[in-house]
Amino acid sequence: MASDLISIARSGVQTARIALDVTAQNIANASTEGYVRRSVQLGEVALAGTRDRVSDMSFSGVRLSAVVRNADAFRQSEVRRTGSDASRAAAELTGLENIETAVEQTGVHQSIVNFEASLEQLAANPIDPSLRAAVVEDARTMARTFNIAATSLDSVGQGLRFEAADGAAQVDLLAKELARVNTSLTRARDGGSDKTVLLDKRDNLLQQLSEYVDVTTTIGGDGQVEVRIGGPTGPQLVSTGTAYGFAMTTATDGTIGFTLDGDPVTPLSGSLAGQAQALTKLADVRARLDTIAASVITTVNAAQANGVALDGTAGQPMFTGTGAGNIAIAFGDGKLIATAPAGAGANSRDPANLDALRTAFTNADATGWMDALLFDVSSSVAGRKITLEALDSIASTARIALSAQAGVDLDQEAVNLVRFQQAFQASGRVMQVASDLFDTLIGIR
Amino acid sequence: MALVYNSTSAFYERSKLDIRSLRSRAEGLQQQVGSGQRLTSSSDDPVAASRLRTLARADRMEKVDTTNANRAAADLTLADAALSSFADFLTRARELAIKAGNDTLTDDQRAAIGYELEQIHGNLVQIANSRDSAGHALFGGETTGDAYTLDSSGNAVYGGTGSSGELSLGDGQTVTRGLTGPQFLEFDIDGTPTDIMATIKGLATALQGTASDPAQAARDALGALNAGIDAVTTGQTLVGTRLAWIDLTTERRANLSELQNTEKADIGGTDIASTVAELQELMVILEASQASFGRLAGLSLFNQLR
Repeated sequence: MASDLISIARSGVQTARIALDVTAQNIANASTEGYVRRSVQLGEVALAGTRDRVSDMSFSGVRLSAVVRNADAFRQSEVRRTGSDASRAAAELTGLENIETAVEQTGVHQSIVNFEASLEQLAANPIDPSLRAAVVEDARTMARTFNIAATSLDSVGQGLRFEAADGAAQVDLLAKELARVNTSLTRARDGGSDKTVLLDKRDNLLQQLSEYVDVTTTIGGDGQVEVRIGGPTGPQLVSTGTAYGFAMTTATDGTIGFTLDGDPVTPLSGSLAGQAQALTKLADVRARLDTIAASVITTVNAAQANGVALDGTAGQPMFTGTGAGNIAIAFGDGKLIATAPAGAGANSRDPANLDALRTAFTNADATGWMDALLFDVSSSVAGRKITLEALDSIASTARIALSAQAGVDLDQEAVNLVRFQQAFQASGRVMQVASDLFDTLIGIR
Repeated sequence: MALVYNSTSAFYERSKLDIRSLRSRAEGLQQQVGSGQRLTSSSDDPVAASRLRTLARADRMEKVDTTNANRAAADLTLADAALSSFADFLTRARELAIKAGNDTLTDDQRAAIGYELEQIHGNLVQIANSRDSAGHALFGGETTGDAYTLDSSGNAVYGGTGSSGELSLGDGQTVTRGLTGPQFLEFDIDGTPTDIMATIKGLATALQGTASDPAQAARDALGALNAGIDAVTTGQTLVGTRLAWIDLTTERRANLSELQNTEKADIGGTDIASTVAELQELMVILEASQASFGRLAGLSLFNQLR
């Protein structure tokens, strides 16, 4: 019996040490991203009575039955789902804000108004060289701001595509990593510390993956995860030890799509979905800007063709180009503005053609269309801001809920530290008692 | 296990979120106060931003309209002054014609009057050729040259266009910016087209000896001269009406501009008083949450266990 007492105490000391280790590990990882609080699950070691010796007592101490990860699978999947939604909204908003900046801050609207105003001013004295020069310069500024807006939009598109390409590569990488973790999980011992580390890694990878695409997970009995993109019925990204290739495709208009194992797939959320949406909006805005620029070009050039320049020659086109990207002023000489109607001689003060140009320009309503475009973009941004705020607060609530449950509470760990220290000391005391008992027996004379 | 488990990282995460959102709201308000603008980009309030763009466009157009109105007013004022001179000279010509119509005058005296009338004709041609504020013929319509030229026999011939141009005053309102010479120098008397300059020129030569009865010629010219003075006075009334119209539109534009500026300030400007009050409120909340965060974060069981 006495030797049993020592081995019971030994098992007690050992488990107390392990529990202290786990507590220390928890404290050390209190702020580690994705770390899930561990706790020890202890089991009694005792034999039930055998045949003929039913009432015998056979205690063998305590053992560590498992290191438990206190992760709630539901809360984890909520964090992934809401986080994925929030990162989609954030990516889309960033893209839209860049589009807004590109169209608004370049001052296209202002430059069209200025051109219109300088035309009106020219009407006061159509043969004044300085007023003519002002029209040409305002036309040049307008053409250039169109160019700048188009270039800015193009570079916004490039930036978005670059980020999306990087995101797609990350998804591919994370999927491969998950497949490797799946393979390792099949070999890990249940309840062991290497398994908990692998599970932490798996959850961490899923969390990272959910930033880029929506993930639907099915977790097997051995901890292996199957990942689908595009909802529960979407194609598989990871299945046991296999990761299917994920890639990005770019269309000619700059919009993007994704393929999984060669087949097209549409992520429902995540930053890649947001970037794809922003690029679709970008293509639309770019096309509308081109339409406005084209309407300015054709309106002004058509009116020019109907009149004669200051020297009495037929009016030349004022703008070259077909859209916002390549609109340019065709002449720098103010004399070539055709203010007089066809048939008027040189130096005519007759403003009939200028009036026709101004009327046509007002009717084409470039400023109105530009205002509508700006309104469209900015109200999209305003709407998405509200959506993002809502999704963000939902996502942070889910994150806090998970970390409240799965994270480390230092106060709790402090209590555990004291408790397991006492357990260790008590088991040591048991050894002392066993030794005393042994000495007592030896000392019998 | 505890019933309510609150992890340390959750506490920090929550505090971080709260303080960050308070800070960003405070910064937004600070930016509004600093810039005086409620909107930093259109997306802050798309409807207001669109309205502001419309107002900015109206503002820009109004500036041009104001310049145009000033130009038209200057031209019309010049025309008014020139018409006054016309009236003065025509009145003098009428006096001279009455004097010459008196049968008691000698031929030499009539010839002297004729000579003076010739000078008046020259002056009339010069006034008719005065320039507007842009250096163009004031009474020449839209011509780039002189309104009147003298032919080989010294008669004034109109070389301008049929009408003067119209200038936009904004909101679809226009004003005719001047008079052409024929509008007040040529008129019908009992169905007979009469040119006052030609009349004076004719009388001048008649009095200098070309007519058999110069006194009768002078009496005959009186009717045309009276009608001429009337025509010039009518022209002055026309110019005065147009000037009044410009004043009216200018006043209207000023009122409109004031309204628009008020609207601009209402839509896009920062209400300093309420923004500062809101900022102050936020700062108090922010300070309180920072202080309470400090106190709570300092509460650790590790400090108590020795």
